[in-house]
Amino acid sequence: MSYFFKQIDRWCRNERCFPCLLIIAVFLLFGPGHVSAQRSIPAPQQTRSVLITKGTVHVGDGRTIDEGAVGFRNGVIDFVGYAYGATAKYDTTIEASGQHIYPGFIAADTRLGLEEIGMVRASVDKQDVGSMEPELRSITAYSVDSRVIPTVRSNGVLLAQIAPEGVMISGSSSIVQLDAWDNDAATMLADDGVFLNWPSAYDRKGWWAEPDETDKKKLEERKTKLGTMTAFFQKAKAYSQDLSPSTIDQRLFAMRGLFLGGKTLFIRADAARDITEAVQFAKAQGVLRTVIVGGYDAWRVADLLRESKVDVVLRRLHSLPLRPEDDVDLPFRIPSLLKERGVRFCLGNAGDHEVVGLRNIPFLAGTASAYGLTSEEALRTITLDAAAVLGIDNRCGSLTVGKDATVIVSTGDALDMRTNNIVHAFIEGRRIVLDDHQKQLYRMYKDR
Amino acid sequence: MRTLLITLALLLLISSHGQTIEPLHHVEDAAKIPIALVHATVHVDARTTLVDATLLIRDGSILAIGKKVDLPKDAVRIDMHGLHLWPALIDPYSDLGLSSISIAKNDGGSAVGARHWNRALHPELRADELIANDTARTKELRKQGFATVITHRMDGIARGTSAAFVLDDGPLPKSVIEPEVAAYFSLKKGSSPDAYPRSQMGAIALVRQTFLDALQFGATSVHEERDLVLGSLSKQLKERTVFEAEDRNEVLRWGRIMTEFDLPGMVKGSGDEYARVDAIRRMGVPLIVPVNFPDAYDVEDPYDALEVSYARLKHWELAPHNAAILDSAGVSFALTAHGRKDLKDLWKDMRRMVSAGLDSARAIELFTSEPARLFGLDDRIGALKEGFRADLLVTSHHLLDQRNTIHETWVGGKRFIHSEVSPVELIGRYTLNLGDGTWELNVTGAPEKWEATVQRAKEPDSSKVKATLQQQGPLISLVFAPKNSPDAVVRLSGTIHRGGLWDGQGQRPGGKWFPWSAVRQADRTGTTKIDTAKTEEPTQRSVINYPLVGLGWTDLPDTGSIIFRHATVWTNGAKGILKNADVCIHEGKVFAVGGDLDVAVLFPGKHKPTITELDATGKHITCGIVDEHSHIAISKGVNEGSQSNTAEVRIGDVVNPDDVNIYRALAGGVTTAQLLHGSANPIGGQSALIKLRWGHDANGLLIDSAPKHIKFALGENVKQSNRSAGSGRFPQTRMGVEQVFVDAFLRAKRYDLEWRSWQAAKPKYRGTPPRRDLELEALVEILNGERNITCHSYVQSEIAMLLHVADSLGFHVNTFTHVLEGYKVAKRIADHGTNASTFSDWWGYKFEVNEAIPYNAALLHDAGVNTGINSDDAEMCRRLNQEAAKIVKYGGVSEEEGWKMVTLNPAKMLKLDHRIGSVEPGKDADIVVWSENPLSIRAISEKVYVDGVPYFDRERDLQQREWIATERDRIMRAMIMAKKNGSKTKKPEPEREKLWHCDDLGDGSELDHIAP
Repeated sequence: MSYFFKQIDRWCRNERCFPCLLIIAVFLLFGPGHVSAQRSIPAPQQTRSVLITKGTVHVGDGRTIDEGAVGFRNGVIDFVGYAYGATAKYDTTIEASGQHIYPGFIAADTRLGLEEIGMVRASVDKQDVGSMEPELRSITAYSVDSRVIPTVRSNGVLLAQIAPEGVMISGSSSIVQLDAWDNDAATMLADDGVFLNWPSAYDRKGWWAEPDETDKKKLEERKTKLGTMTAFFQKAKAYSQDLSPSTIDQRLFAMRGLFLGGKTLFIRADAARDITEAVQFAKAQGVLRTVIVGGYDAWRVADLLRESKVDVVLRRLHSLPLRPEDDVDLPFRIPSLLKERGVRFCLGNAGDHEVVGLRNIPFLAGTASAYGLTSEEALRTITLDAAAVLGIDNRCGSLTVGKDATVIVSTGDALDMRTNNIVHAFIEGRRIVLDDHQKQLYRMYKDR
Repeated sequence: MRTLLITLALLLLISSHGQTIEPLHHVEDAAKIPIALVHATVHVDARTTLVDATLLIRDGSILAIGKKVDLPKDAVRIDMHGLHLWPALIDPYSDLGLSSISIAKNDGGSAVGARHWNRALHPELRADELIANDTARTKELRKQGFATVITHRMDGIARGTSAAFVLDDGPLPKSVIEPEVAAYFSLKKGSSPDAYPRSQMGAIALVRQTFLDALQFGATSVHEERDLVLGSLSKQLKERTVFEAEDRNEVLRWGRIMTEFDLPGMVKGSGDEYARVDAIRRMGVPLIVPVNFPDAYDVEDPYDALEVSYARLKHWELAPHNAAILDSAGVSFALTAHGRKDLKDLWKDMRRMVSAGLDSARAIELFTSEPARLFGLDDRIGALKEGFRADLLVTSHHLLDQRNTIHETWVGGKRFIHSEVSPVELIGRYTLNLGDGTWELNVTGAPEKWEATVQRAKEPDSSKVKATLQQQGPLISLVFAPKNSPDAVVRLSGTIHRGGLWDGQGQRPGGKWFPWSAVRQADRTGTTKIDTAKTEEPTQRSVINYPLVGLGWTDLPDTGSIIFRHATVWTNGAKGILKNADVCIHEGKVFAVGGDLDVAVLFPGKHKPTITELDATGKHITCGIVDEHSHIAISKGVNEGSQSNTAEVRIGDVVNPDDVNIYRALAGGVTTAQLLHGSANPIGGQSALIKLRWGHDANGLLIDSAPKHIKFALGENVKQSNRSAGSGRFPQTRMGVEQVFVDAFLRAKRYDLEWRSWQAAKPKYRGTPPRRDLELEALVEILNGERNITCHSYVQSEIAMLLHVADSLGFHVNTFTHVLEGYKVAKRIADHGTNASTFSDWWGYKFEVNEAIPYNAALLHDAGVNTGINSDDAEMCRRLNQEAAKIVKYGGVSEEEGWKMVTLNPAKMLKLDHRIGSVEPGKDADIVVWSENPLSIRAISEKVYVDGVPYFDRERDLQQREWIATERDRIMRAMIMAKKNGSKTKKPEPEREKLWHCDDLGDGSELDHIAP
């Protein structure tokens, strides 16, 4: 049976094959009850060139092209411009008039593939024990078979940075594309960053906690933590200077890229003081590239971030203000505050239900566009700027000739849930199946 | 000095010995020698002062008092010249001598005695039976002026009775001057080992059920259970009661319970009553209020300062004003020092209250005559009157003067000296008479280090010379040389008397002896004036917001008559979506909807209201969003959950009007919410239906005569699947869950039958009525169709199960909430006429939602189920319009029908669709003005009206932001000044709100959120 599907899949991938689609449709409607068992088969290499034409092209860098076209072959974009300018021959042409063409959306700092069902411990692989664990690699635990991944793709998210959680140094993240047979195939950039949870100067207490019981012990503990961390970074830096160390220290080895280049230090911090402290710490330790993750107060310390060339993966927009009398819409407005202050940032979704809710990333950008950013500026926060923050903007993040053909087409504004409807998706030119088990269940019960 | 001490020792012995039962170990001090305190300024009470008066004490009591008192021949006279006598203080709320007694210790963790099942109830424990001497604390209290405390055991919900206990270090039978003064209650289970109650609403339910049981117990003489707890309570509820509240909202909660059970009692508050003073005054219940003010925060670092909430800044500023505000509002109350970390600064804080506007005499009454009156002890303490106990203070100045020292506390005639009077008395200006002329003597400094200068009277400073002054007890020597000539050295020796009089012998150059005297000029004799210049600097009595958080109102908004013109109106009614239409709201209702509304036609005749016209061109107008499933605005626990059936608990008892999430939700267009109990047990608690009337107290939020609702739950949460270690309580499977429902409703039916047959019987054959059971009462309401079930559910089998149980036991399931596999049994749900309130796209957060799909709502809707989208989340709650849009995306429901899923459809579920859920004439004017199509991600709610009142207005909100910033800045500057002036400060800490979800257990003291 799976062979049969593979064949059909292949046919309809390769050309606009209405009869094939019809066969599939008929099969889905009347076939035996195996629909829910169907999996979306990873797409093969692009062999036939594709031109998506006559749609609105959202380049990802802020520009749009009405009546535009995007062409790509062998997985690489070779045309972006007005539709009439696409004179080269393409094997397949997709008419997208009235529709919107975007770069595939990018999600930073997620646990996608590390957590399947939050409450089922066996299906969760996001946090290990220990406090200084840069050697833990998210790409090892990442599951390309997660049933969540197709639902995320369905809304246009095609690339993701998979990052572990953990006490202090959580581990190393990797960047993946969301359609692969195995982890090697999924990997776009292995071990792109080390994630560090900054010990906050403010220990968080519940509403009922006595406000005046500043726990001196906790402050002391924090001091110790910072001391341990400083010592660890110093050791790691020293270790990195020896290019052929006689002993392999897994932990220190995993830190080398921070000092030699190639790895970014992602520091989770929200409060202004914590961010300041974290940035100064990274500088002092000789870390070459730092990104703040969370960044609720990042706009308050924008000068420091800008001058230190520190980017931000902004905490989930759809969250409550952290302080009781903060502006009710402050979380929605932080993007425009950062934009005004010249800090480069992209959007994250960490928090409750973050994995199953990752498909809502485009709508976070949509909300930003209601609170101070233009639509195209908002789009940048999940495309070009996200790629830049993650260090992959040389390959993706915008519809630019020479970049990966990672492209989506939506019938309406993809940043608005009211109109988001992704009809085509390509990763490196490979045409992605946009079906998922939820759509299958829908069809199954709709036609019951 | 030695003689003085001996005298004192003698006095202590002879002062207050009446007859004693305890065997004597020495010869009896038979003589009852009276003591006369003479030449004192006697403050009979806070408002009556006798200058140069005498107070005569005998046998521990005041025998006489007045300007002219005939002293018995054998009276010991003590000169109190220049000193003040005051009635000693009473602390009405104390655990002195009982602080170490907990239920756990008392019971050893197991129930002992023929008593109630719940060990948070110990009304039978009597302070007089358990009290022990605590000499260290007693001494501290006495030093601050207390002679009496009313003390009780502060542990558990029913805490037992208090004793009036005097601080005389005496034998306990004598120190307890009155047993069982009052009975005490709290909403905290304390050290009780029982699981129930774990939330505040559970505590209130337990209190109500137990009070009902106690009243029934008291009403009959034949008892099925001889329960000593109910026995004690049945008596206590007729007598004086005190209820402990931890914040202003709890004060009002107790008020409601006191009204329900008609209890004459008082409430011990927390010191923030000023923020709801009107509602508290209307309660008409006396309070006990702590003198306990927060330290300033150290806000010198602006980053640290970010973490101090507005509410805490304001409380720092306003707490010292609490007493003055309550007093001027006419609230009756007494003060307590309980809860202070440090007693030492008590009088400093008293002065702060006075400088904040509290009448100084009143301040003293609140610690003397008021507690005496409130606790029925005003026949013996609280004033200096003949026949009263000789409980008094000897002070240097007015009690509230900054220079004042409490020198002595007398407890029942027993004298406790804290500081000698004499040394401090030396300071001052004296007229020094050496026989050959007068000199002026000026004394400064401190004991051991006195400094003195002497000069000829009425001569310029040039003649001033230094003198050597030495003092040892009452003896003094003074040496100086006029004109600094060694030939003129004068040496004086003498005795210090009270009242600034010194006398003795001196020797002139040449060895000639002569008598001398010195009399202090600026004497304090009889002064009752407080040195106002030296009282504490008051903090500003700044504006009080309603509620007292940054986003609260300074002036509550009011309703008006408004016509919105040229809007797109989503009527949710037969008219559908109207383009370019007008909406008129008037007297809190939607008055008219249509094109080109004409005021003259709408309001014919003379009584034309003042109408505000608002141009809403380009805007969309809808009714307010109705959130069927919310846990905002709930105090101290959303789950009782400690038993599988807690139908007796009521969210309505613990509505928290101060939760900023009310305002945030309002800003997202929500106007009505059902506050649901959590999902930790199969039968949860009763819901509260509120409108988001931000600024009002809990009563003001609750919807009048709202239909009754209750939460049920199924699945993983109730079977405790996701707890690390199951408690083992039944049920642990879906099989067990079914049986819990069957059992509950079978019991409810029997209960109902019992009541019905009692009511049907002729009155003379009725006998005592059956016991009222609040849990079963709620279930009977369900059986009678008077209470509606909202049932948390996920998988299809459990949904089908509950429908089946309902059919077989004869009740109706009103709504399945979450119902994420509802799409699999949509037809069955539709056939039962049951509503579905689901999430738009949540799934995968636990095993039972693995098959949840975002198309659920559309499939249910298509099957004919009245379907809604709820939030169950304080954050999503403010974006429910976006969640409705997702139903358009997933499953292609029309925009109009999608919009109804967050408005009209949930209104139907709440049985409120006759009042809310659409923009049609006659409906409540719960109106939202949106910047554009409300389903668009770019839609922003600009104005939100509830009952025609604009509780959210984006323009006003923007102004408020500026205002908060200014106000925060002002208070922080005051705090920085306070720190510079030496006030204690503490480190800022973030105030994170407690957000409730279905599965949150406990009262918030632990973070144990699991999942929705």
